[in-house]
Amino acid sequence: MKAKFVNSLLFSAIFLFFACGESTDVVESGTYQGTIQEVEPSKTEIYVETDENQTLELYFSDSTSLTRDGNNVEFSTLKEGMKVEVEVEKEGKRLNPLVVRVLE
Amino acid sequence: MEEIPDFWRTEVFHPLSVHFPIALLVVAFLFKVIALRYSRDLWERGGTVLLIAGVITVWIAIFTGDLADGIVSRKICDPTVLKDHENMAWTTAWLFTAGLGVDLLRQLKYPIFNNILFRIILILLLATGTGTLTYTGHLGATLVYQQAAGVYVPSGNCAEFE
Repeated sequence: MKAKFVNSLLFSAIFLFFACGESTDVVESGTYQGTIQEVEPSKTEIYVETDENQTLELYFSDSTSLTRDGNNVEFSTLKEGMKVEVEVEKEGKRLNPLVVRVLE
Repeated sequence: MEEIPDFWRTEVFHPLSVHFPIALLVVAFLFKVIALRYSRDLWERGGTVLLIAGVITVWIAIFTGDLADGIVSRKICDPTVLKDHENMAWTTAWLFTAGLGVDLLRQLKYPIFNNILFRIILILLLATGTGTLTYTGHLGATLVYQQAAGVYVPSGNCAEFE
């Protein structure tokens, strides 16, 4: 009985290990609105959850335009929970953010 | 003319560090399996030493992998493979860390931990970890050999090597 309990616990833990990883989605080139889920300043990277519940992983490049109220702003402006509109270009399965607009 | 980049690039530290945990953790698992049949201290203690070294190096590999991620993700054509590689690597690191925790509890020789149940839990954790480690390695190899992740691709006429 005890062994059965420990085994169930162990397999649940292993399942949780697999379930905990982030997964991201690949979308067609276009413009999407969503909320910033996570910001990684050291990699100038953001995760955006779109209104269609897809998670986009976006790495900024030198050509990525980041604006707020029409003005260019620094990457450090971005915070979790912000509403954004992103214009992405799909190359292979990589999403290049061309424009990121902060909506609030 | 294009120049050959410096070898000691940030993304190169990951392949340099990742083979240590691969070797150490797989052999640690084998030692612990052999220790089930042969009770010599060599297999049991040796497996623990290898497991400690493997867990330390697996976390170093996670760190160097995270550094490489920020560079490589911008260049490869299918970053979803990199994401799977990353997720699987974290799973592997935690499985072996949990395995090490169980093993160290067993080594304390308290009767409550030094029984067959904990031995089975340890072997299950290490076996699952070895499986995820293998798959992580496969995904890593796919990134390098299918997408040239972190690899400098010489020009067609190799002019930069002249």
